[in-house]
Amino acid sequence: MSRQFHNKEAATDVSRRGFIKGCTIAAAAMGLSESMVPKLVEAATSPTRPPVVWLHFQECTGCTETLLRASHPDVGSLILDTISLDYHETVMAAAGHQAEKSLHDTIEKYEGKFLLVVEGGIPTKDGGIYCQIAGKTAMAILAEVAPKAAAIIAIGTCATFGGIQAAQPNPTGAVGVKDLVQGTPIVNISGCPPNPVNFLGTVLHYLTFKRLPALDKLGRPRFAYGRKIHDHCERRAHFDEGRFAEVFGDEGHKQGYCLYKVGCKGPETYANCPSARFNDVGVWPVSVGHGCVGCTEPNFWDSMTPFYERLPGVNIPGSGEGIVTGAGSAGKKILGVTAAAVGIHAAVGIGKKVLKGNKSEDQE
Amino acid sequence: MLYVQHHAWSILLRLYHWCFALSIVALVTTGLYINAPWTNTMIEGSSSFPMATMRYIHFIAGFVFTGAILARLYLLFFGNKQERFWDFLPVTPKNIKNVFETLKLYSYISDKGDHRIGHNVLAGTIYGLTFLAAAAQLTSGFYMLYPESLAWQGWGLMLFGTQQEARFIHHLLMWYFILFAVAHLYLVIWNDVKTKEGLVSSIFNGTKYEPKKL
Repeated sequence: MSRQFHNKEAATDVSRRGFIKGCTIAAAAMGLSESMVPKLVEAATSPTRPPVVWLHFQECTGCTETLLRASHPDVGSLILDTISLDYHETVMAAAGHQAEKSLHDTIEKYEGKFLLVVEGGIPTKDGGIYCQIAGKTAMAILAEVAPKAAAIIAIGTCATFGGIQAAQPNPTGAVGVKDLVQGTPIVNISGCPPNPVNFLGTVLHYLTFKRLPALDKLGRPRFAYGRKIHDHCERRAHFDEGRFAEVFGDEGHKQGYCLYKVGCKGPETYANCPSARFNDVGVWPVSVGHGCVGCTEPNFWDSMTPFYERLPGVNIPGSGEGIVTGAGSAGKKILGVTAAAVGIHAAVGIGKKVLKGNKSEDQE
Repeated sequence: MLYVQHHAWSILLRLYHWCFALSIVALVTTGLYINAPWTNTMIEGSSSFPMATMRYIHFIAGFVFTGAILARLYLLFFGNKQERFWDFLPVTPKNIKNVFETLKLYSYISDKGDHRIGHNVLAGTIYGLTFLAAAAQLTSGFYMLYPESLAWQGWGLMLFGTQQEARFIHHLLMWYFILFAVAHLYLVIWNDVKTKEGLVSSIFNGTKYEPKKL
């Protein structure tokens, strides 16, 4: 696992064909024309390309795994071999003091030039003690490294929005990078895990154009998170036609009908999964019969659950136990109470009239 | 008894009322379908588009709803005496007193009430809340209708959160409008029975009646 330390000339296990292919995939994901591919190739192989520091905090390493485990090596190799990855806890050969030295050498030598990638949420409660590396808290490491970076890429929903550890009740006070870092440009590549193509596209965009791609209001690249999953979904025709899987395994499910009624959150989720797809074999959750769970959105563990129902289980502040999933049934109960109240009110009015007698007013 | 005839509601207010009311009927009907589509055609090779049709009607009705709200916003400031917010929101001591008088009348504690030509202030207060609910409903609606617009995304994220959170609030507020419709219908009929002022017909012809003070 030392090949990430090779420079481009030595990285012989990526064929030129595979390398160009990876750049082309990234160009397609960003919506760039074919004529831009040579420019991306040039940027990715430039000897002056910036080194990358990759920090891991509260996370499962799934975002790194999704880059490494691609069955088709192009994207993973392109990221790991053509970019000078100076510090990455999972794949680096160095350990202990050596690793620390590598990190510090890089951030000193390339101050203001290196790209920082952050994977994982950052706990802030109790001084941030719930995630420590080399005796330092994640907050302290980020505060040390982030101001020296040229730009930050927060990869995965944990680093972007806090992720699963930030779900209610968020015991460690986990937050995303954007909540702690000011002054350094941040790109959020959200997803659990995000598609490696979106990460690669952002990196190549930065290397080629020397600036970050256009972002949406949550700091996510527009090329990847500019549209909702629903609007590119291959099952969309079934939605419009009113053909739905009612439960998993029923006839509609077997026929490949829309998964809206079994809780698909595609209509609420911004991502390019239906067009970029995963694992180089052209699949994504909906194509294999499982609804979208909305993993690219903030608070998705809270607002997108239950995953197999349409309505979220967000607690409404101040409503006591909270209205969980049953907005519809709660509404029906309230309607019943209202009807009863209306009935009682009308009965009292009639009763009072009967008791008092019908004292009709004079009318002309 | 002699009655004095008052011109209470302008044509624009009556048009607003019916656009608002009918659009809510259409929005709730199609909205419930969109949330839980109960038709499941299982027929292929045809084109009936129930979901697409329901959404189309929902969006058209949403624009009618928005137009109605804008007309009412205009009338709050530039309408006739009964239509301006000063007349029916609890913003003056006289108006606040009217809320309690109306509550007493509705709970059969008092028979007199504090009669107004326009809205009583209890109704007016609820209409004010309904106006705010409508504003939230159309903002969250446009946020969902134009997901690719950065302007709506900015507003939507600030006011509601993600698309899913906006959708949930949109759904909850739908129930507010259903409850409002039930209570509103009951109370206008009740008032029409109790107080012979031509309340129900006033929303068609704009005219209300008040006993002549002798």
